[in-house]
Amino acid sequence: MNTKQIHRFVQHYLESTDCQIIEKSPAHFKVKLSPLADRILTNRPYYWGFVDRTGAEPETMSFLFVTDKERYDRAQEEQAGSEPDQTDAALARSFGYVHGTTAGARMPREDLYYGSRRLEQLFEAARSGGSYVCLFQEPELRKSHPLQSTAYTPWLGVNLMVEFQCDRKREEIHSYGISLATGQVVEQFQERLAGMRMTPRLPPNIHIARSAITLHRAAGLVEQALEKKLRSYDYSWAQEAAERLEEEQQLIAHYYEALLSSAEEEQRANIEAQFENRKAEIDWQYKPRVQASAINCGIFHLAGID
Amino acid sequence: MADTTKAQGSATSSTASKNKLHPLVELQFDRSWQEELQQRLTKNGPWDEWVLYKLAIEAQEARKIDSFDELQALRVLPAFDPMPHQIDTARKVLDGMGGRAILADEVGLGKTIEAGLVLKEYIVRGLVRKTLILVPASLVLQWVRELNQKFGIAAVAQKKAHTWHYDVVVASIDTAKREPHRELLLNTDYDMLIIDEAHKLKNKKTTNYQFVTQLRKKYCLLLTATPVQNELEELYNLITLLKPGQLGGQSEFAANFVVDKRLPKNESDLQGALSGVMIRNRRGDGGIQFTRRIVRNIPLKLSTEEQALYDAVTAFVKQRYQESGGDLTSMLSLVTLQREVCSSRDAVFLTLVNLFKKTPEDSPLRPKIWELVEVIRQIQANTKAETALSLIREVNEKVIVFTEYRATQEYLLQYFRSHDLIAVPYRGGMNRGKKDWMMDMFRGRAQVLIATEAGGEGINLQFCHHMINFDLPWNPMRVEQRIGRVHRLGQTEDVRIYNLCTLGTIEEHIVSLLHEKINLFELVIGELDEILERFEKQDQSLEKQIAKAMLESSGQRELNSRFRQLGHSLSNVRAEQQDWRSQQDGQPFQPLLDAISQPVEVKP
Repeated sequence: MNTKQIHRFVQHYLESTDCQIIEKSPAHFKVKLSPLADRILTNRPYYWGFVDRTGAEPETMSFLFVTDKERYDRAQEEQAGSEPDQTDAALARSFGYVHGTTAGARMPREDLYYGSRRLEQLFEAARSGGSYVCLFQEPELRKSHPLQSTAYTPWLGVNLMVEFQCDRKREEIHSYGISLATGQVVEQFQERLAGMRMTPRLPPNIHIARSAITLHRAAGLVEQALEKKLRSYDYSWAQEAAERLEEEQQLIAHYYEALLSSAEEEQRANIEAQFENRKAEIDWQYKPRVQASAINCGIFHLAGID
Repeated sequence: MADTTKAQGSATSSTASKNKLHPLVELQFDRSWQEELQQRLTKNGPWDEWVLYKLAIEAQEARKIDSFDELQALRVLPAFDPMPHQIDTARKVLDGMGGRAILADEVGLGKTIEAGLVLKEYIVRGLVRKTLILVPASLVLQWVRELNQKFGIAAVAQKKAHTWHYDVVVASIDTAKREPHRELLLNTDYDMLIIDEAHKLKNKKTTNYQFVTQLRKKYCLLLTATPVQNELEELYNLITLLKPGQLGGQSEFAANFVVDKRLPKNESDLQGALSGVMIRNRRGDGGIQFTRRIVRNIPLKLSTEEQALYDAVTAFVKQRYQESGGDLTSMLSLVTLQREVCSSRDAVFLTLVNLFKKTPEDSPLRPKIWELVEVIRQIQANTKAETALSLIREVNEKVIVFTEYRATQEYLLQYFRSHDLIAVPYRGGMNRGKKDWMMDMFRGRAQVLIATEAGGEGINLQFCHHMINFDLPWNPMRVEQRIGRVHRLGQTEDVRIYNLCTLGTIEEHIVSLLHEKINLFELVIGELDEILERFEKQDQSLEKQIAKAMLESSGQRELNSRFRQLGHSLSNVRAEQQDWRSQQDGQPFQPLLDAISQPVEVKP
């Protein structure tokens, strides 16, 4: 994720949670959080507990989020270097005008770079706040005819995280869409959705095709499609991991069997327990496996019959 | 999403299923989303927003781990710049050793950094969450700080029972192995176990060794600069802790690799077996070139009034000691008084006032304490501060002044300021932000940084190469720590150390002990540890012995002779240490360790 992408991400998050952006540049945001975002981001459960119990007017926190540190710092330096504007200062004296709306208010600075805790927290917040949706594609205005009803198809859309794991790990994201009307399966469904305008409300003058398959059946189709795809992958990494696993199991078997054969009776149980422990540890460490779980999913009603 | 439970655990739940993708690989579906979606459909909500839905997938795309072997840790730590051999080591542990390794770099090459890199990499990949780090008690906070600051890992120091529930906990092994902690830890599956100073586990009969054997762990790192010291079996025990069987059973190991307990055989096989579990970096021949340390002792003579205070305090302390019947433990605050009197009257004053408050009103001690306070009143000037000031003016570059006492620090700040010398304080109690601020000022306008001992750790001051020991701790390690702030990797100038030494006081003896007998100021890094360990094995800590000599001597002559004795035994220990070192170089293990180690070039 480069600084531009981070900047866009942060902006979208702040907007979607109704935060008040006081000032921004391509390198930073000064923002007063909305109550919603404050609850999620500032980790002040006691304060919010107090607000909820007493009904007090909440005072949310403000932040300076810097998305491009270098650029922001350079800009700040240049600004500091230039002479302060005399007229502004004079005006401020006569009108009691204070520059900025948050002068004096505490505004902690946070640098948001890939890997920073705050960005990681925003990622997490997006993830938990965007898990399940039910949406309708907004009809194109010029096409809509008051007497004509447009047909919509309900789709199940799901984004899957696939983890390939042994003692090491890599990941892939797969996005599937299944037409609940026809059972058609589409890959890279999220890309198809990305450009569309969506609304949570049922638009006028549309009708929705009847579902021919259940959600459960559709999910089954997704699993089948994914499984088929994954079968064609290269599993040499798993082969190698399994070999390492086998090697290590033999080493410890050799070690513990020798130990057991010469052990005193009262020590045997102890050694056997250790042996079992060690076996389990090696499995835990090396056993190759693939796991698929949903990042998020939803029902999407899209124009057209597919 | 982290792999926190053993696979067996989650696989049995009804919302998951397994299919074979390959004879060796199962595909496991987490189906919990299906039920949740169905439920929300039935209830018609609640539904999340489209924008957040898109952001969620964008975030996940950004965090996705694309390849098995590309290091992710560096990508998420843009401000962190480890040395090449540290990155190489992390890679080897991850790619070639499956996350179980002995990191056996020579002292000072950054084993902690290597371990931190490996840990961070596994955390970023979601392969490690639950982590236990066992280190000597004195290093707990240093580890916590380093993991937090350098690696952005939220490590906590174990303090109370509930601390164990945090994901990354740093604790001392002696605490961990005791009940009630022990049982709790033995019932936890640790994704990662890290043990610092692991050579302390060389004896398999100890409770520490058995405790570590019993801990359940997936990945494991053992850190030690000396994986083998006295006999080959130590090496065997250490490796068996990590991977039992790697060197065969005990009798096989003895038969295959050992001629005599100090003499290995079949070395190339042994090297092969070792290099699968151990990484050792050593300094190459042109390796770390530390700059020189140039020491200057600055003798100074107390004014008559100051000398009077010194004598009065000394007499007072000794008398109390005799009254207590030679009980050293109850003398702590009085010994402090004795040390403070060498630093500044302000430090003494504060302690005296506190002592006065604590003493019952009818005690005969009260008037005596008050007498001392009266002696302080007589003192108009501070000879030491004057000497320091003129020294700093003479140097005319950045200088760091170390003192043990807060009161002295405050006094010096004021004194320097009143003489138009810009000085900033630094102490352990300051919060992070303030510390950074002070550091910035010192880098910028301020010529002098005045640090107390507590602030000594964790500050890097390579841009400064003059330091003044305004007073000297009686514990040589603390002195070494002070020097280490300035004389370290990255220092390009020779480091000049000035010891202020008041003649005719205990300080004169301390300087002579540290400088002449231990040769503290010119030792190779790491050597002091070894000397002190040896010395304290024979007797009490140096600090205690100094205190005793001080308190028990009846006069100057006895004091001199006791310090001569102390100096003598220190010299002996040092000579032994040097013998041992040269033996080590010609030792049977040295070629073995050298054979499996990589020389690295580290430029300061």
